[in-house]
Amino acid sequence: MRILDANRLLLVDDEADFRAALKRRLEKRGFAVLEAGDGNQCRWIFEGRADEDPVDVVILDVKMPGESGIEVLGWLKANHPRIEVILLTGHASTADGVEGIKKGAFDYLTKPVEFQHLVQKVNQAIEKHNNLKFKEKIEKQMASAQRLASLGTLSAGIAHEIDNPLATMKEAAAYLRLLLDKSSPLDMPRKKDFENAVGKIETAIERARRITHQLLGFVKKKEGTKVRTDLKEIVAETAVFAEKEARNRGIRIVQATEGAEGVIWSDPYEIRQVLLNLLTNAIHAVGRDGVITLSLKDAGPSVELSVEDTGEGIPEENIKTILEPFFTTKSPDMGTGLGLYVTAGIIDRLCGKMDIFSQVGKGSCFRITLPRKRKAVCDSLEP
Amino acid sequence: MTNAPVRVLIVDDEKDFVEMFSLRLQETGETVYTAGSGRECLDVLGEENIDVVVLDVKMPGMDGLETLKEIKKRNPLVEVILLTGHGTIETAVLGMKLGAYDYLLKPAEPIEISKKLKDARRRKQEQEARIREAEQKTLPSGSFAL
Repeated sequence: MRILDANRLLLVDDEADFRAALKRRLEKRGFAVLEAGDGNQCRWIFEGRADEDPVDVVILDVKMPGESGIEVLGWLKANHPRIEVILLTGHASTADGVEGIKKGAFDYLTKPVEFQHLVQKVNQAIEKHNNLKFKEKIEKQMASAQRLASLGTLSAGIAHEIDNPLATMKEAAAYLRLLLDKSSPLDMPRKKDFENAVGKIETAIERARRITHQLLGFVKKKEGTKVRTDLKEIVAETAVFAEKEARNRGIRIVQATEGAEGVIWSDPYEIRQVLLNLLTNAIHAVGRDGVITLSLKDAGPSVELSVEDTGEGIPEENIKTILEPFFTTKSPDMGTGLGLYVTAGIIDRLCGKMDIFSQVGKGSCFRITLPRKRKAVCDSLEP
Repeated sequence: MTNAPVRVLIVDDEKDFVEMFSLRLQETGETVYTAGSGRECLDVLGEENIDVVVLDVKMPGMDGLETLKEIKKRNPLVEVILLTGHGTIETAVLGMKLGAYDYLLKPAEPIEISKKLKDARRRKQEQEARIREAEQKTLPSGSFAL
């Protein structure tokens, strides 16, 4: 949804001729105009569009038979609070206008309306609407980013805290082992049972340790330092991370990293974030029962890391859109990440590039190309 | 000489960890002392003959690095192994630059800990042997040896 294209108006007035004439003139000025003759028709326009408003500004006649403009205003503000409403009042009814503003209308104009005036008001209302929308989106992104950042810090904090009790458990289990090794079945008749249980404890401790280790692998530490990065390892780790979710949906994750040289100089934390983001998107694209392939391929001075899915695919005209800053197909509280825009930004910082291939109905492939060697400054000519 | 018990001082504010670690090491034949803080550690070092200190990096009060610096000031030959969690690895590496023998990430494999203890103790013994040799060379033939 492009914010800057949003100049959509709704005219609500019981006089059909007036509506038609006004609509013609507004359309000449470049607005997209819908019309409604009364409150019901107005509501009908909004039917079935729960998540996205079909218009940005409503021009609303106050004096209508049946349901009055003020009543429709009340409904609009209650159900679609982000839409700005401009009231058109009768020339003796400034009281209606004032009441309307108190009830949330952007402003009012008295009939007969000066067309230039109306256009001015509409543009002002649109600007306010866009600013609020923009602000809202930024706030959502910030909240999402903050959530992720604090989640990261929280995870690190928790993982660190868990290290200590794990260390105690490990020593205690090792101690029990020593005691068991020194005792014979004679002085310990249930030695085998003890050994079995201690073995389970040791295995579980090791599993817990691996989980916290993995969690901390996803928390970035220092900005910008490039280290020896094993892409094969990162692919394997990320696949494990997403394994449960994938399995629950009947999705198979295939790793095709043999044959490629996976070691490069880069930032493993950033690459993990990027790969996890793409993998999560792929899982959602597939939905249920499909295959996601994570592959590595040598490409001269670079290496190609691809995430391919058998999902619904992306229509050609949307491929550019999905990289825009606030684009998301997910509802705001899913919070699965910062989107492809941020992912693309990270890849850019790593001196890499991302190509998207997709076919509707067949699937998509997100291919990241990364340089093998350290680069102090990214050359624009290199992939 | 390498199979003699290692005289270990465990320094960590986590009481349960210290207890289990101490019991396990004693069960494998080492001689174990414990301390719950940096201050206590220095007190014990002043009284006992310690080979290796196993020191937790993150402690309230006098933290690991401060304690390490004091140990190296007072007993430079005592080897120190740092115990660290994931968030304090950089501190541990800094500690190595300040003279710690090595570091271990919690939770560490008990076998690995024991191996590092023995290796650290060996380094101490080798240094002490070199010192004895050097001392003997400075003695004039005959007396003055105390």
